[in-house]
Amino acid sequence: MKLAAVLLVLAVLPLLGPPAYYLYLFSTAYLFATLATAWNLLAYGGQVSFGQAAFFGLGAYGAALASLHGASPWLTITLGAALAGAGGAAVGLAAGRLNGAALALATLATAELLRGVALNWTALTGGGSGLVGIPSVPSLPAIPLELGGGRVGAYHLSLATLAAALTLSAAVLRSRAGLALAALREGETRGTLLGLRPLPWKVLAFALSGGATGLAGAVYAHTLGAVEPDVVFGRFFSIAPLVMATLGGRSLLGPAAAAVVLYLVSELVFHPLAPALHQLPYAFALIAVTLVLPAWRRTP
Amino acid sequence: MTLLEARGISVAYGGLVALGGVDFAIEERQVIALLGPNGSGKTTLFDVLSGLRRPAAGDVWLRGERVTGLPPWQLARRGVGRTFQIPEPFGALSVRDNVLVGVTFQARRPRTRAERLREVERLLTIVGLTDRAGDAAATLSLGERKRLELALALSGRPALLLLDELASGLSPKGREEVVRFYARLRAHGLTIIAVEHSFAVLAEVADRVLVLDRGTLVADGPPAAVLDSPPLRTAYMGEEE
Repeated sequence: MKLAAVLLVLAVLPLLGPPAYYLYLFSTAYLFATLATAWNLLAYGGQVSFGQAAFFGLGAYGAALASLHGASPWLTITLGAALAGAGGAAVGLAAGRLNGAALALATLATAELLRGVALNWTALTGGGSGLVGIPSVPSLPAIPLELGGGRVGAYHLSLATLAAALTLSAAVLRSRAGLALAALREGETRGTLLGLRPLPWKVLAFALSGGATGLAGAVYAHTLGAVEPDVVFGRFFSIAPLVMATLGGRSLLGPAAAAVVLYLVSELVFHPLAPALHQLPYAFALIAVTLVLPAWRRTP
Repeated sequence: MTLLEARGISVAYGGLVALGGVDFAIEERQVIALLGPNGSGKTTLFDVLSGLRRPAAGDVWLRGERVTGLPPWQLARRGVGRTFQIPEPFGALSVRDNVLVGVTFQARRPRTRAERLREVERLLTIVGLTDRAGDAAATLSLGERKRLELALALSGRPALLLLDELASGLSPKGREEVVRFYARLRAHGLTIIAVEHSFAVLAEVADRVLVLDRGTLVADGPPAAVLDSPPLRTAYMGEEE
């Protein structure tokens, strides 16, 4: 209920007629909020990912390639999310026995590996210059709020992506999967002695987190109209959700709220003052969270 | 009927032999007191029986099925429940959710969430933790954590319970409660292997005593016969005599 109310208020914000620049900022903030929410799905089960860019890039490239082969944007976004979800499941299967720093490094390596593939498989991915000419998402006549091209459309598409990720996350956290993930986070050994088999739940968390991250990647590809390996598989899309979600805590809305605040502070406060240092809020957030991390992240 | 059979169980940590070919069999509904000095291999034996450690040699049979090397979750689903000497509950989860984990992921779990929650309440009533159900497990006292451990071990409706020093560290009143717990568990027909620092806690319920010393089974038999030897009497009955 609280979630629906927040989303409804955000959905009607464009009616106030804000400048296009602000709509753009909020659209981007919602995409980061989606990534932070997806990252939290893994962290909720005690799995720390340093490589979410792998899934963001898979979603972006999946949608871009399908689109350039003639598929409709709604299908391409679905395909991009599904490809990233499958990628997530594969990483979860491969890294299912890893924990802590080893898992973090494995995910980081996955993102770097995929960036390398995208840079070098020129025939498929366009190499370093990437792919261009990806059409924007058309409006839906049945929905009064404009979904298609233009800033308002991008805003609503981005917000819908966040709504999807939050709905998915809420469903997981309330379900048997949420209980399993919380138990694995709090004590994997104790959990296994109670009949809890870790691997399927870890794979599920990776698949869902990958899918939600890939959904954001696919929307990003259609919104920008272009994808490049160094951007969509870049480290910023791995590190930013980690910092944002860590700051936001483990609740459903915390990571998303922290993402929106951090991104907007970075762009609206720091960028005008010191353009070269506009990522400082992320550094401050990371330092602050590291200092108080044990107490903060243990709050259910 | 034989519930558990261990044949030639051997475990070594580097060059140190923790268990050197341990053999025993346990009938259903027996209560076994597992005794031995610190470092004699009691916890290592529990680790093997619950699947946390694969033995270097030897086999474990549960109801006639060879279960050596099966992961802990498979053994739990076959009916092995265990507590730890130092309780390790899911700290940030509520007491209720801790037990719900145990009830939810077992082989014979209730089908609906409402039924699972009823089972959780039943278990919390048995161990006397209903008034702490909504509190985070990390906030429990040692005695309460031990009770939660027992509820977790019971949550899978186990056929075999491995109880590691339920009474240690508790006040005299807490120890009396543990003695009563043992009597109730026995009355329910559970098969139990219990480690206690003092045999007095188990004196009224144990059918049989196994004594481990430096990884070897040095005595096995009815309590009266085993504890008749003066060194064992001094070691395990001393303070209560």
